[in-house]
Amino acid sequence: MGDKGVTKTQRKKLSPVIIAIYVLLVVLAVIYIAPLLWMLSVSLKDNAEVMSAPFSLPKAMQFANYAEAWTLGKLGKALVNSVLVCGVTLIVSMFFGAMAAFAIGRMRWKLSEGMHTFFLIGMMVPVHCILIPLFVRFAKLGLTNSRFGLMLPYITFSLPMTIFLLTGFFRSMPGELFEAAAIDGCGIYRCFFKIALPLCRTGFFVSGLMTFVNNWNELLLAMVFISDPEKKTLPVTLTYFVGPYATNYVQMFAAIIIAIAPTVIVYCMFSNQIVEGLTTGAVKG
Amino acid sequence: MDKILRDKKAIFVFTAPAFLMFVVILVIPIFQMVYYSFCDYAALTPPEFIGLANYKKLLFKDATFRIALKNSIFFMIFSAVSQQIIGLVLAVLLTNIPKGRNVFKNIYYLPCVLSSAALGLLWAFMFNPKIGINQLLAKIGIKGPMWLMESKGFIVLPMWVIAFVALWQYVGQNMMLYMAQITGISRDIYEAAYIDGASKPKAFRYITMPLVKPMIVTSLSLNCIGSLKFFDLVYNMTQGGPNHRTEVLATELYAEGFNYFKYGYASAISVVLLILCLIVTLLVKKVIKVETYES
Repeated sequence: MGDKGVTKTQRKKLSPVIIAIYVLLVVLAVIYIAPLLWMLSVSLKDNAEVMSAPFSLPKAMQFANYAEAWTLGKLGKALVNSVLVCGVTLIVSMFFGAMAAFAIGRMRWKLSEGMHTFFLIGMMVPVHCILIPLFVRFAKLGLTNSRFGLMLPYITFSLPMTIFLLTGFFRSMPGELFEAAAIDGCGIYRCFFKIALPLCRTGFFVSGLMTFVNNWNELLLAMVFISDPEKKTLPVTLTYFVGPYATNYVQMFAAIIIAIAPTVIVYCMFSNQIVEGLTTGAVKG
Repeated sequence: MDKILRDKKAIFVFTAPAFLMFVVILVIPIFQMVYYSFCDYAALTPPEFIGLANYKKLLFKDATFRIALKNSIFFMIFSAVSQQIIGLVLAVLLTNIPKGRNVFKNIYYLPCVLSSAALGLLWAFMFNPKIGINQLLAKIGIKGPMWLMESKGFIVLPMWVIAFVALWQYVGQNMMLYMAQITGISRDIYEAAYIDGASKPKAFRYITMPLVKPMIVTSLSLNCIGSLKFFDLVYNMTQGGPNHRTEVLATELYAEGFNYFKYGYASAISVVLLILCLIVTLLVKKVIKVETYES
């Protein structure tokens, strides 16, 4: 870096400003972290303590709250359902998305730009707009109250973002790579599976994480399509605690912690990659 | 090489699955929804064409819809303004500090990946009249308002509360987009400006601002569409109450469609929602003209 001298003198000059900025950022960070930590602390109290001293640390750790929330809210089932629905959605949408993105970003045909726009428009359509017609049709086909039925719209609504990101990645790959492969007698399908897919690992990672997070948190479709308690996903299960269990705060918070734990863990493990990937994807577009 | 990249059969095989899913799950239902919106369609009877009656009722007779529309538009404007400005400011601050950039960035972005259904429950509890924030306020002798139950005013207090919670949750998204754009600007440009005697604010005004502009379009349209279709937080914080005062388009649509089973009427609401989304996207593109720069 040739600008070290410049920044150093500036840092010295601006230090009060920088300190002020740090103070502001730390205060903001507290506003972000405090509610989450507070939630953790409440989930370990008993109900009487929540009312009398909600902001103090729990006197005795009530781990039983988690066990009760787990059985009362059927969280085990919900967790399995969420993992299943999100997992299948993730794999299928990645695969379909990668194929379409490869054809759009790498292959030469007249309508490729049109197809790209077609998929991108999908990003602007709110899920709410297809809710009723889709529900009516799925009810006729027996696809409501089924995890498979929920996967179909999830996959469809994950495709635009995936195609958008992956097309960018495929386009940035050097063309010589494919040329060399073609000269060696490699067909288009082998080009896709053996060259394009392995090289696109970062792209998969990014769009995969986004797909996972979006579907894991999705509430409206899941609420409408699934009414059988055995098949509900995690966010829907949480709405249970709004109504009948509304006064049972400790269990509600235990359930919330269980529901957000997977995303928090994934985020802590990969936050830098998520952030990096997001930015490459967004800037390329 | 050229030949295998023009392989029609392969192109078909590659695009067909995604294309088909798109048509069946997205495109056809949209047309169906438009058709239903002209029908009297309760769940059990087949749809019956009634022309514009749904829209007439929606626009001229339905007070709840008017509240929902007002709230949604308020929410969109508030989110767009507050999240864009604070997001940009955070991005500029973070790109200017010497250390700890990643830590802060990751903290501010965290709520974006969390379930808003879960966070809605958390904040509903925080703004409970007896517990949470009001208890803290009581300690210093202030009697807190009924955060989520107040029903007076043009934009009711609960709506402001929800808007601020949304700001807290989603501002990280805009911050990230702007940071990406700002870190992409070449250091050399700034250096040259500083050598020519430009101050930091000047550099921001004449270098950062114009170069960040293309991102404003992306970020603003995502922001607006996101807030128009907003559902989770409202549903879990107030469920549209008190007395429908915090209803937004999405919750209203859900209630009409799946609590009262008025499919035709709910479809008309979704048509309004879709049209709003399209108008907003086009407006954003039109109003903010983007010149392209060499990067």
